[in-house]
Amino acid sequence: MSKYFIPVLFLVIFVFAIIKKVKPYDAFTLGAKSAIPFAVSIFPYLASIFVLTELFEVSGLSTALSNFLAPFFKVLGIPTELTKLVLIKPFSGNGALAILTEIYSTYGVDSYLSRCASVIYGSSETVFYVAAVYFAGAKTKNLTAPIIISLIASFFSCVFACFICLIM
Amino acid sequence: MNVIFALVLILSTVVLIFVSPDSLLSAMLNGGNKALNLTVKMVVIYAVWLGVFEMLSQSGLAKKFASILKPVNNRLFGQLPEQANNYMSLNISANILGMSGATTPMGIKSIQELEKHPNTEYAIAMFFVINATSVQIIPSSVLALRTAMNSLSPSDVILPTILSTLLSTVIGVLLVKIFIKKKC
Repeated sequence: MSKYFIPVLFLVIFVFAIIKKVKPYDAFTLGAKSAIPFAVSIFPYLASIFVLTELFEVSGLSTALSNFLAPFFKVLGIPTELTKLVLIKPFSGNGALAILTEIYSTYGVDSYLSRCASVIYGSSETVFYVAAVYFAGAKTKNLTAPIIISLIASFFSCVFACFICLIM
Repeated sequence: MNVIFALVLILSTVVLIFVSPDSLLSAMLNGGNKALNLTVKMVVIYAVWLGVFEMLSQSGLAKKFASILKPVNNRLFGQLPEQANNYMSLNISANILGMSGATTPMGIKSIQELEKHPNTEYAIAMFFVINATSVQIIPSSVLALRTAMNSLSPSDVILPTILSTLLSTVIGVLLVKIFIKKKC
């Protein structure tokens, strides 16, 4: 069902545009033109985030931090096996996806841990990535409060995810 | 951001000097490489989506759509400039539907548009938190992965995910309402 969604949506947009006498070729090209400046303005911020994530991972800091935090997380109901996922998700979507895949193959895709990991992955965002990209060209640089709020909210949903997967 | 950066930078460099000094530079270059690969992918995704969006806005359909969402947006963000409301409506709908290629360009444009006007700090913070707490209804990438790994019931996780993502967004919105002052 959902595979028809984008094609049908696009069809509606195309037909409507042509009825409204929009020049489709000109309009599409104009839009596409801004793709490169967009990507160029984002690149330095992406580079910073990725360099940071890579260092965090390679230096073993992420493992050390997750070992350190695991007992605290466990008290809140987050299984030790999922600590790393919870920590990585705000920084890197790809990193989190790799961990998710690993959890699936280690513990079986229908196990409690895997379902719980799925919900954690699916219900949170890469907070730092969103911050870096959305504000790439922006003057507002003081994002401390919004970032902390997002992290707290995401953490609550992780705790909730582990709880709800026990009963659902 | 700078504090976190400083912390991770210093700590990981110190650790790596003792553990494996030759992997510092390669790790950093590796990170840069990943960023470049992603940027190249993004150029293509943005080109397609921004092309479609341009048709959408020239045809006037985007405006109509945004005016339907205006009451909801005004409640959440306060009074919004019209153009910002257009971009934000598209961004949030794309987010809910999980069209990840479309959310980023509209998100950036929303922020740029909001910044042109005074007293929009509250709206910017609220908009960021809504984006950063995820409002996607159907976790399509998770479902695809579960199906690919032969799950007996891949869709088991849909309802818990919806509830959990809703909770994080509600908490985020409430925290913004409590801690960030509305100026307008």
